[in-house]
Amino acid sequence: MLSRRARITLSILVVASLTFVILDLRGGDGPFSSARAAVSSILGGIQRGAATIVSPFTGAGEWWSTQVEQSGQIRELTAENERLNSALVSVENNIERADQLDALLRVAGVGRYRVIPAEVIAVGPAQDFAWTVAIDAGSLDGLEEDMTVINGDGLIGRVLKVFDSTATVVLIVDPESSVGGRVAGSQELGIVSGTGRQNSLEFQLLDPLGQVSSGDAIVTFGSKGGRPYAPGLPIGEVVDVTGTAGELARIATVRPFVDISALSLVGVVVKPPRKDPRDSVLPNAPSATVTPDPAPSSSSSQEKETAATPAPSDG
Amino acid sequence: MVLREGLFIGTCVFLAVLIELTLLSRLGIPGATPDIVVVSIVAISFAAGPLFGAIAGFAAGILLDLSPSSDTLVGVNAIIYLIIGFTAGFWLDPRDRKLPVMIGIAALSTAAAAFGTAVVDTVLGGERVNWTEVPWITLSAALYGALLSVLIIPLIARLARPLLTEISVS
Repeated sequence: MLSRRARITLSILVVASLTFVILDLRGGDGPFSSARAAVSSILGGIQRGAATIVSPFTGAGEWWSTQVEQSGQIRELTAENERLNSALVSVENNIERADQLDALLRVAGVGRYRVIPAEVIAVGPAQDFAWTVAIDAGSLDGLEEDMTVINGDGLIGRVLKVFDSTATVVLIVDPESSVGGRVAGSQELGIVSGTGRQNSLEFQLLDPLGQVSSGDAIVTFGSKGGRPYAPGLPIGEVVDVTGTAGELARIATVRPFVDISALSLVGVVVKPPRKDPRDSVLPNAPSATVTPDPAPSSSSSQEKETAATPAPSDG
Repeated sequence: MVLREGLFIGTCVFLAVLIELTLLSRLGIPGATPDIVVVSIVAISFAAGPLFGAIAGFAAGILLDLSPSSDTLVGVNAIIYLIIGFTAGFWLDPRDRKLPVMIGIAALSTAAAAFGTAVVDTVLGGERVNWTEVPWITLSAALYGALLSVLIIPLIARLARPLLTEISVS
């Protein structure tokens, strides 16, 4: 059926891809680091350009659901919208980016993190089952592996691989991601792991008798030297707790503060704060002026007792 | 004219990968990412024969695996897309192909790609695949694949037509 040439070509391709898999399975830097670097520098440059063009359309999934509900209304306004949108899209986009940058700077400022801003330029397809994105900053901007990635809402993930001008970021919702977490206020420790779904994380308490309830905020516990996770960053809010106190597997479902499906401007923490900022970076937590909830008083007293404890070994 | 065919396949594959990673995967659509890469490979396989489908699949897979936005083993997508690219064009006699049949094959191929990735990843010891999500991902991939193929298959068939006279369908 097949010609000799076709059969030879096919077998070469099959053998080549199997060889690649086996070589890459061995891990480490491997023979593909230079190939990855080359592809990332080519793709990265083009993706950066493409990302600018497509940025108004990202997050269109949400737009679609409202579209279905209000299709009648929208149809009437479409004509007017189209005319106005062409002028507004660029302005809105800039304002949105400025807002995101402001929020990022607030988190960075309150927590004394030193961040490098970067733009998400590509997202791995969902059928890879890996939640990874590419950002447009790399080793030339001072990025290194295992640095924390945040945005104005909180923790996004950590840097997995670094190339010259791009880097791969693995998100906290990736099933292989686990972050050391702390319940804001009660100081209970646990492990936040990804579930592979974009709006839920699992928080497992280290102490089975520890208290955690819906509405509690989870912040990062921090790793040694601030890598891979800097301390005190908001992760998410507990929405559900399964199991009773004392049970071995007590798992809380956590909704991340960041909107994983609409990532745009992010910051890479190149220098974590010298002191754990505790809960001060949480959303709607008071920034030292008005204090509507009792969190600051408890956190300031806890700050003294935990300041002497050594840094935790790993996140 | 191997050069012209190679250039055509290379451009199609590169554009498909670029569109998938920068636009389609960022739309926030529920379920799988609309797999324009697999649909393009299937379309190339229809238009230029199973061998070129296999080559396109191999190239697209390697490019996706090496891209900075993914963290898969190099070669995993290549072998899956290679098999899909070959099978799609080999399956039916070109004379029996009607557009609905081709859309069906494209939908099956995208589903097979999603499911195949899950299987290969699990077999190779990855812990990322959540098997309760796999049916939904596979099903949505097939649906998006069918929708995309309505556009992509005629487009690539049309673009490849000037080349077809020179391609000896193996």
